[in-house]
Amino acid sequence: MNLRDKLRAVSAPAPRPAPRPEPAAGDCWRKEVTRPLDEFPGAFDLSRATLMLMQQEELPVPLDPTRILYLDTETTGLSGGAGTVAFQVGLGFLREDGFHVRQLVMRDYPEERYLLREVQTALEQADVLCTFNGRTFDVPLLRSRFLMNRMDPEALELPHIDLLHIARRVFKLRLKRCNLGHLEEQVLGIPRENDLPGAEVPERFFRYLRTGEFALLEDVLRHNEQDIASLCVLLSRMTWLYEHPERIGHSEDLFAMGVALERASHLEEARRCYRLLPSGALHAQGQLRMAAGYRREGSRREAARLWEEMIARGEGGVTPYVELAKHLEHHERDLPRALEMTRQAMLRLAEPRLTDTAETEAQRDALRIRYERLKRKTQAQKSRTAP
Amino acid sequence: MNVDQLAQVLRTDQDFMENVTRWEVMPARPARYADYPEGLDDRLREVLHKRGIHQLYTHQAQAVSRVLAGEDVVVVTPTASGKTMCYNLPVLSAILKNPDARALYLFPTKALSADQVSELYEMIEQAGVDIKTFTYDGDTPAAARRAVRQAGHIVVTNPDMLHSGILPHHTKWVKLFENLRYIVIDEIHTYRGVFGSNLANVLRRLMRLCAFYGSHPQFILCSATIANPRELAETLTGRPVTLIDDNGAPMGERHFVFYNPPVVNRQLGIRKGVVPEVRAISGMLLKNGIQAITFARSRLVVEVLTRYLKDMVRDPMGNAGRVRGYRGGYLPTQRREIERGLRAGQIDAVISTNALELGIDIGALDACVLCGYPGTIASAWQQAGRAGRRKSTSIVFFVASSAAIDQYIVNHPDYFLKQSPENALLNPDNLYILLSHFKCAAFELPFEDGDSFGNAPAPEEYLGFLEESHILHHAEGRWHWSAEDFPASEISLRSAASENFIIIDITDAGHHRVIGEMDRYTVPMLLHENAIYMHEGRQYQVEKLDFDACKAYIRQVDVDYYTDADLNISLSLLDIEDSAEEAGFTRTFGEVKVTALVTMFKKIKFDTHETLGFGHVRLPEMDMHTTACWWTLPDSLCARFEADALQGGMLGIANLLRIVAPLYLMCSPQDIAVIYQVRSPITDKPTIILYDNCPGGVGLAQKAYAMQGLLLEKCLDIVSQCTCTHGCPSCVGPVGEVGTDGKKTALAVLRAWVDPASEARKP
Repeated sequence: MNLRDKLRAVSAPAPRPAPRPEPAAGDCWRKEVTRPLDEFPGAFDLSRATLMLMQQEELPVPLDPTRILYLDTETTGLSGGAGTVAFQVGLGFLREDGFHVRQLVMRDYPEERYLLREVQTALEQADVLCTFNGRTFDVPLLRSRFLMNRMDPEALELPHIDLLHIARRVFKLRLKRCNLGHLEEQVLGIPRENDLPGAEVPERFFRYLRTGEFALLEDVLRHNEQDIASLCVLLSRMTWLYEHPERIGHSEDLFAMGVALERASHLEEARRCYRLLPSGALHAQGQLRMAAGYRREGSRREAARLWEEMIARGEGGVTPYVELAKHLEHHERDLPRALEMTRQAMLRLAEPRLTDTAETEAQRDALRIRYERLKRKTQAQKSRTAP
Repeated sequence: MNVDQLAQVLRTDQDFMENVTRWEVMPARPARYADYPEGLDDRLREVLHKRGIHQLYTHQAQAVSRVLAGEDVVVVTPTASGKTMCYNLPVLSAILKNPDARALYLFPTKALSADQVSELYEMIEQAGVDIKTFTYDGDTPAAARRAVRQAGHIVVTNPDMLHSGILPHHTKWVKLFENLRYIVIDEIHTYRGVFGSNLANVLRRLMRLCAFYGSHPQFILCSATIANPRELAETLTGRPVTLIDDNGAPMGERHFVFYNPPVVNRQLGIRKGVVPEVRAISGMLLKNGIQAITFARSRLVVEVLTRYLKDMVRDPMGNAGRVRGYRGGYLPTQRREIERGLRAGQIDAVISTNALELGIDIGALDACVLCGYPGTIASAWQQAGRAGRRKSTSIVFFVASSAAIDQYIVNHPDYFLKQSPENALLNPDNLYILLSHFKCAAFELPFEDGDSFGNAPAPEEYLGFLEESHILHHAEGRWHWSAEDFPASEISLRSAASENFIIIDITDAGHHRVIGEMDRYTVPMLLHENAIYMHEGRQYQVEKLDFDACKAYIRQVDVDYYTDADLNISLSLLDIEDSAEEAGFTRTFGEVKVTALVTMFKKIKFDTHETLGFGHVRLPEMDMHTTACWWTLPDSLCARFEADALQGGMLGIANLLRIVAPLYLMCSPQDIAVIYQVRSPITDKPTIILYDNCPGGVGLAQKAYAMQGLLLEKCLDIVSQCTCTHGCPSCVGPVGEVGTDGKKTALAVLRAWVDPASEARKP
């Protein structure tokens, strides 16, 4: 047996590949469509200040919406690594006459460098990059492709708005899944029809490579064009939501936005969200977070006022009692009231419930200890003040 | 009592000396020093002074100067001879001179890398310079990986991580690849067989990427004593390598005692068991306060001996921390603690499998006991090397078991003392292995027409084949990866699967606790349901083995027996490569599927070692494709024997082959397996089969096939020269196994085979 036969023998047999399409010399395939601006409400009205509420990275001043490059790649694999190639790249940019989507395809591997050069040029002409999960996927992949083609990956170091993280922070609580298709449907109200699942994209390309039937890529291109357009719509939508929290219909989204703003230290904006929450469990949580925020920044009176209001409304379970008791004991030095709050909290936890956890038990213990201590302190105070 | 006094006492002890077949004294060897090599950064000299090192040993100085001269080197040194200096000095010097320079350190296991890096840290700290050394392995937190990739001057990793975590993602390691100056590979003697063949290909891939990024790293390799260090180094790296083996480290006087347990039944050739004898010898060392390591061949024996020795020194509370067991399957933290205890002298006796054979730093001990021959001369010297201080006397006891190879060694000490250790064999061009790495390499960087892959044969054949399989795509002279898979994840560099089972102690219902782990091939033998599993001398019973979830649940018990499982092997034919016939005997080489299955286990009583009962095991089979060589006996010859005699004779020949083959194939006994089948499903005739004991094979069966009649001639030599009457463990095996006619039949079959003419003359 010769070597080739041996290799065949140790592996499953495979048919010969079909003839390949002739690659055009010196360029990759491209297509450009212009979509009407009415599909992109508010795309020109992006406020830099609002964007800075949504994410941390510095953005250029002034922010020119026509210099944002929307980018999405379709790749030969999803696992990453040096052997994965972006065979198709979609680029979107806003112009006075509409939203332009330029799609590049390498029809065979030698065309990759032309595709990458065009991407490089587009990046050089942009101020900001906007993607969906580009921070962990598209950009590292392109960086790898640039290096493999001995091109400088410097152009990729643009300020980057990654909509996945922005959208996830707001919608994860309600939607659980946050892929782009799902967001389009649930947030933008655009259902996708006959969409090619992302997991099938690599297989399509390899099939095209073997058969030369370009039509196999049509679904990929349609999918990619929709992704690019959605990036622009989603970005405007997100800024609009941040500017108009009162118009947010789902309290989960409002609460999540509050948390996101709070984490990014935009406390005033966060409070605005919390205050807008309709009464219910999330409202209580929002109030507690707000009070905790006041306490952290030293506005203890503000915090105490919130806890007192919650107690008055009968909201938030045992926590406002506990927090208020701590405040009264350590800052107001009002031991009798602190004792009273602790007693109230204990009363509320006295009856065992089905929802009790190990934490509840720990909470009970802590309350008991607090109660004993407060009692001792109160007595000591009494004996001191007594004649 | 110190070692000198103990040796004196033993040598006058008649009862003991009766069983000693040889008492070899190796004289003390003084240190030999050389001048501090030219060209090293001056700051290093200060560091060495701070560490109390004013001169280098000859081999260290030589290694450093050869490396500085631009050569690739392999340093061969015994344990504790300061080999890390041989690579740390040139590496640190290069980085001190050029802060952009990078080095890659490869150790075969995570434990070893942790150990070696701590010494490196100390040196860097003493130098007071900013040299960043990072360990990059499965335990490196994701958050830290970025820093390692960007800023690590010295990246310490293992072959598996290099293969699947670094090379396929090389574009994230640009800084490392562009500036790579040195590749340090320690313990290269462990890279034999499949592991070594894989590593050689991983290095081919590494060097391809270095060429892409324009770096030209040098290799610094270290090996324990083997027969062919330079050949191994050159096969691994594919480049000429300078050998440095002039060891200048001092060594105190060493005693090497060959001890054969007394015969208890001369007719049956049965000797006293090796375990009780070792128990006595290790116990004697323990009582005399001589710090000793005892090496046993199986995890089971480690646990049994640990228990025996712990029992000797238990305090009233039942604690016996001075005696510890050590083997794979203990958790890393526990192992580190034992290693520290040994270095600090808090542990007097450790009983280990070959897990402590590698260069893990446990300091030098006073004594070493080998419970049975570890299988290769190289291993035996490695283990013996654990005892041996630079200044004082040390002693090694080799206690032979009744296994034929042990008996051979203990009766022919010269064979052991004079023979050079085994060759380390590997075959980077193994079809399976090479094909897998061609995939990985193509994934990492497209091949161009005319590109070579190290010195691999016929790259265009492999590339063409991969294109046919739609894995590569050829366009404009380049071969592009065109598949969705991530090829490195499909290949495990070690023959055993990487997926380990975890062992969970459920004795305390409220507090389940993981106490160890075990590789999937060993699990059916030791962790089947109802097995008594021993851990640190404590007994546990396996309550449930969840094979799919890779978990074993065990509960502490106190019983007076241990368990031993029976492994069943069956074979089926995949492909015949070549076949030849001589005098009616057919010799064939081909590929087979080996199926291993554990079906039952025995309960064996402690102390008396009698069998108390049996139990069934229900577990899935495990398959392996490998290469085999088999010999078929002619019907005419077989017709001359009774069925029982024939079976005994074939068993005898299989036993003989197990002794002879490793010596002539120059491999360790566990690298091959020999079985016999009275009516083989492969040939339909009585057949004896030798196969490579690893998936795909490393060429041992092929070598056996090419030797034609040589192995059988050697078998005949042994059996015809043996003085026993009906068989003994040193030839065909004990008469209890082969039957009264076994030896006679084996002799007759081998004669007919080796010398058909003389056989024909017989009536």
